[in-house]
Amino acid sequence: MILDWLLPVLISAALVLALAGAIKRVNLWRAGQPDSVNLIAGLMAMPRRYLVDLHHVVERDKYMSNTHVATAGGFVLSMLLIVLVHLFGLESRWLAWALLASSVLMFTGAVFVFRRRLNPPSRLSKGPWMRLPKSLLMFSASFFILTLPAAGILPEDFGGWVLALILLVGVAWGLSELVFGMTWGGPMKHAFAGALHLAFHRRPERFNGGRSTGLKPVDLQARVLGVEKPTDFKWNQLLGFDACVQCGKCEAMCPAFAAGQPLNPKKLIQDMVIGLAGGSDAKFAGSPYPGVELGHAVGGPGQTITEGLVNPDTLWSCTTCRACVEECPMMIEHVDAIVDMRRFLTMEKGNTPNKGAEVLENLIATDNPNGFDPGGRMNWAADQNLPLMSDVKEADVLFWVSDGAFDMRSQRILRAFVKVLKAAGVDFAVLGDEERDSGDVARRLGDDATFQSLAKRNIAVLNKYRFKRIVTTDPHAFHVLKNEYGDLGGHYEVLHHTTFINELVQLGRLQLDTFKGGTVTYHDPCYLGRYNGEYDSPRDLLKALGIELAEMERSGFRSRCCGGGGGAPITDIPGEHRIADMRMEDARAVGAELVAVGCQQCTAMLEGVVEPRPQIKDIAELVSEALIEGAPAARAAVAEEVLS
Amino acid sequence: MTSDLNIVALVSIGQHPKSGRARRAEQDARAVELGMRLAGDNVQVLHAGDAAEETLRQYAGMGLKSLRVLQQSPQADAVVALGDYLAEHRADVVLTGVRAESGESSGMAPYLLAEKLGWPLVTRIADIVSIENGEAQILQALPRGQRRAIQVRLPFVASVDMAAQVARQSAFGPGRRAELESLPWVETPDSERAQFKEAPARKRPKRLKKVKATTAAERFKAATAKSQGTGGRIIKDQPPTEQAQAIFDLLLEEGVLR
Amino acid sequence: MSDLIRRDPRAEWIARNRLHPLHAAMTAPAGEVRGPSGLLRKNPHGVGFIGPNGIKRIDRSGGSNAAAGGRRGAAKSAQAVELPLHVVEAPDFYVVTVLDLVGGRLGSHDKDVLGQAHKLVNGLEGNGAVLAVVFGECKEEGFGLAGVDRLLHLEGSEYEGYSPEQRLAALVEVERRFTPRYWLFPDSINGGNELGCRLAARLGERPATQAWQVDTQQTLCRGAGGSSDITRATPRLLLLAEECAEPVDERRHEALAVELDSIAPSLVRIRDCGQVAVDPNAIPLAEAEFILSAGNGIRDWDQFHQAAELLGATEGASRVVVDDGFMPRPRQVGASGTWVTARVYLAVGISGAIQHMQGIGQCDKVVAINLDAGCDMVKRADLSVIGDSQAVLAHLIELAREYRHGAAENAA
Ligand SMILES: Cc1cc2nc3c(=O)[nH]c(=O)nc-3n(C[C@H](O)[C@H](O)[C@H](O)COP(=O)(O)OP(=O)(O)OC[C@H]3O[C@@H](n4cnc5c(N)ncnc54)[C@H](O)[C@@H]3O)c2cc1C
Ligand code: SF4
Ligand code: SF4
Repeated sequence: MILDWLLPVLISAALVLALAGAIKRVNLWRAGQPDSVNLIAGLMAMPRRYLVDLHHVVERDKYMSNTHVATAGGFVLSMLLIVLVHLFGLESRWLAWALLASSVLMFTGAVFVFRRRLNPPSRLSKGPWMRLPKSLLMFSASFFILTLPAAGILPEDFGGWVLALILLVGVAWGLSELVFGMTWGGPMKHAFAGALHLAFHRRPERFNGGRSTGLKPVDLQARVLGVEKPTDFKWNQLLGFDACVQCGKCEAMCPAFAAGQPLNPKKLIQDMVIGLAGGSDAKFAGSPYPGVELGHAVGGPGQTITEGLVNPDTLWSCTTCRACVEECPMMIEHVDAIVDMRRFLTMEKGNTPNKGAEVLENLIATDNPNGFDPGGRMNWAADQNLPLMSDVKEADVLFWVSDGAFDMRSQRILRAFVKVLKAAGVDFAVLGDEERDSGDVARRLGDDATFQSLAKRNIAVLNKYRFKRIVTTDPHAFHVLKNEYGDLGGHYEVLHHTTFINELVQLGRLQLDTFKGGTVTYHDPCYLGRYNGEYDSPRDLLKALGIELAEMERSGFRSRCCGGGGGAPITDIPGEHRIADMRMEDARAVGAELVAVGCQQCTAMLEGVVEPRPQIKDIAELVSEALIEGAPAARAAVAEEVLS
Repeated sequence: MTSDLNIVALVSIGQHPKSGRARRAEQDARAVELGMRLAGDNVQVLHAGDAAEETLRQYAGMGLKSLRVLQQSPQADAVVALGDYLAEHRADVVLTGVRAESGESSGMAPYLLAEKLGWPLVTRIADIVSIENGEAQILQALPRGQRRAIQVRLPFVASVDMAAQVARQSAFGPGRRAELESLPWVETPDSERAQFKEAPARKRPKRLKKVKATTAAERFKAATAKSQGTGGRIIKDQPPTEQAQAIFDLLLEEGVLR
Repeated sequence: MSDLIRRDPRAEWIARNRLHPLHAAMTAPAGEVRGPSGLLRKNPHGVGFIGPNGIKRIDRSGGSNAAAGGRRGAAKSAQAVELPLHVVEAPDFYVVTVLDLVGGRLGSHDKDVLGQAHKLVNGLEGNGAVLAVVFGECKEEGFGLAGVDRLLHLEGSEYEGYSPEQRLAALVEVERRFTPRYWLFPDSINGGNELGCRLAARLGERPATQAWQVDTQQTLCRGAGGSSDITRATPRLLLLAEECAEPVDERRHEALAVELDSIAPSLVRIRDCGQVAVDPNAIPLAEAEFILSAGNGIRDWDQFHQAAELLGATEGASRVVVDDGFMPRPRQVGASGTWVTARVYLAVGISGAIQHMQGIGQCDKVVAINLDAGCDMVKRADLSVIGDSQAVLAHLIELAREYRHGAAENAA
């Protein structure tokens, strides 16, 4: 009968087409810049990355996780068996039965996909993605029926012409969507690109429970600095963009999107896909950038991205909070891409918006973003009698003061922390006027030249002295010192003050009174939480103060940014709301009277919300207020230090 | 605007007022900005000094392909070199800052150049509105945001005020790639400056309001009035008429009502 | 004006309130008068003031013995002491000062320059005279008191407006006629700096600029944009910083008019096309001298705009009202807006968040209108009014109206 010869032809045609598509797609990626990845090791590690690491992220949504396991697992298995049974015609009842089972599995999964698509949330893309569940159903059902004869359940020539024709249509549809659609740019592209993306990921450290959040340095001798055209991305970044499943998890978490600023991380990744393949966004079937109409963005591999494809305002809206990256099931790196493009705008175009240019100029001329006299870094501590590294040369703890030294509000936090350090009798010292801005803001604003210059000079100073660890109250400096100085030769043990104070409390070197006051909630700073995985120490400390936290809905790794990261307050792209106001709403929603934070930038942002609002206090302030000074334990510790 | 104009912007090495670090001088950068808006990257940027000075790249980073440097040692009189160069290479418009940020910072450069070239000099300009038929329409900056319209024939020298459009951002990439064209140039030593002694600025005592007090009460008041200034006066629980009057008095006293 | 005694409740209030900043000015001692023979005469009726209940009060501390209670129309008390007159008959040399005469009157900078001129004269051998050169319209009558021995007043259409070339020609003529020992200019943006530099370039002098400590030997002047001090031998042409010397205040000078024979009209290459009318609201915030700034405490926006217009103030705003769309973005003052340098910053209903305060750090006088006496703006302000913005603005508008009206009448 006709199916006997047509089916293998169809399957092999689909496979050949898929191969051709794959070659074409791979060539698109290869237009990107070289990057050193271990191809073999990556491929070997891929199944584990897929089954464990990726699944770990997907599992946050149980429904989708089970659905995906059934559908994808069913499909991969079915496809293998289809090749054996229907292409090579292996006559084995066992194989046929196995194929039946796998297509049932896939069908069941597809039914759930279908149900999710009945009333999809706005974050999901529509368009071809609405077709996908139907294709899945069609594919699995058709092959199920086709395999029945091979399994010996039905006679070889049941049904006759009509059914055969219907089945043929089903097979053709299914194969085109699921097999060569995979490499020709349909929704199933995510499976093909996704698998390879996992294998050749630019940050392999992220797998196996690791963390990699530091930005990569720019080669300042390069032909262009930063990314001008899609082909200026590394090839595996391009591959990564192609892996996007348009699930919109990133969109749902993005603070800039929620504030109505013209940024949507999902759309941005799709725009990158348009860039690498060429075309326009007319067919994009998800939420646009707030306030930007669809259909006007056009791009191609060799075209400047910010001229026609992505408006610079989109890039400057990002707070680099990494909520999107944290949430992305495909482990795509949005922040890297955004900063890469900012680098071009700043270092090649000289187009950092609003106060950006001024801040960068100040950083270059005075080593601090507001252009204060660099010789006035220690003015805040005139009455504190702090030991200077240049005098003592050696200390257990180097207290990295950060630019908070110039800001009156932040100085309260710094003083509180100094009080805690002294109460615990810690042997510490500061760099004083030798300290410079950490480079965080310069780097996020795309000025890697200034970042590197600041970092190198800071490293040179740090290397003059001996200390065991660096402690800082600024999560941004913390992150940069800990994760980004390494590339330039500075390797240090760096702690955030909450971690350090918590340690002191655990060691019994601080005696704390219980906190008296109303409901308290805790706001996780992005650069402490998502960037460095420190969620527990602040909470432990608050507990030690006798505080029972009223956790906000968005907390921990799902904490929402205060709006202060990535230079966003400097570039200040207008939206409909302010991110800090939205965050304050979260706090009000749990009835908080006090928001505990661990970051001076968060303090500034949240205190910028118009009163009446909950109070804002850094954990260092809460601890210093609760200190029982002269308590026996603390005194003992001091004595010990003095003696030793 | 006519882009076949020959516009020269003179730049110096600036100095940050707080850190004392070398930087592009704010007014000179505004001069370059104005030049670029008039003539695109045809504007010629000229410096007399050392081509190895990295700070020059901050000007180049504004988008200049090249920058011409008349090679001079620090002891040389840069104005002489610039004047000789400009006398040889005819320009239509020469733009400078009002006052340098480092060195003698006397602000004499534009005057000396104009005198030497025999060209008119327009000081403290905020903008060049147009250049047509060999005549420029200029806005001169007056104190407190006021402007004066001025007409002058080419060629002329103009010093650019802080009221002019702020200079565009300097980008690292183009700055690094720009060519610093070094021209060996005759040096005239500045012997007079060699006699100057320079030291960090001393704080100048603010002049106290001299009160020729005749009574003890007046002296007492003169002494207490100072400390009162730091606290600030608060008018509470008074009718709004009185409050408004107090504000109005202050406005009158400060002379901002006109 | 009539001689009728009119009560002025505000003046009375100020006279009673010894802490009022205008108290001293309003209560100039009128009780003592020098009689024709030079003897001090006391007028017992001039002492004291009328208290709120209509009873005369006498304050023996001597500080508030004004006749402020009843302002007398033309009855001004005669100027007290006559200073000795300093006469220079035939000067051996001249020190020439070229004065700004802003608004036709001597400013404090001009007076400092004259003070410096006399310091130099005193430091030299011989009989020197200070010659002041002034251009254009002149309303000043106190040249003698400020230390001018000789006055050259150059007037005429050719000196009006921006006329640096003609003025320079005149100064060159002065150089030829008087060969001054020193040329002194105020180093100011009101013309002094420019003329000084022009003359220096013409005469080939190397001027000292921003000079602030000058004697006949040595000059100390600011260099490097004010961040360094340069010590040098005193040149012949100096551009003097403000407060370079104490103004003359202990004698009168002749202020004899001198004239130049003829000054060749110079070739006018720079044409002044007049001052451009600048709407206070079109002035870039950073340059504005008087800013009326609105915050979240403003309800009636029409009233606010009206107040700004009548007061002739440039409008500013806090971020909140910009975000809420009441004011355009370029009007925002603060960390993410403009850093302003106004002489007077009038903050209406602004709480004074740190980000806002950053933007007004360089303002001279800050005035706050706010309901909350404890807010940070009030802490920073030189003058704070605790009350409802709408009510206070309403009265300010009234006052400004009256003032403008009065000015218009005076002019008529
Ligand atoms: C990164 C960042 C940058 C920022 N940048 C800026 C900036 O550049 N500029 C800026 O202004 N803000 C900025 N902010 C916002 C700032 O923190 C404050 O939220 C804002 O300045 C408050 O504005 P406001 O004083 O008008 O409002 P509020 O804080 O609401 O103050 C209103 C004031 O009006 C008073 N008031 C109310 N009603 C009346 C009445 N009827 N009569 C008299 N007084 C009344 C109240 O007592 C109160 O003091 C920034 C914030 C952040 C986080
Ligand atoms: S990093 Fe944060 S702000 Fe930027 S795109 Fe991702 S979620 Fe949005
Ligand atoms: S980038 Fe990631 S999270 Fe965002 S839509 Fe694509 S796959 Fe989903």
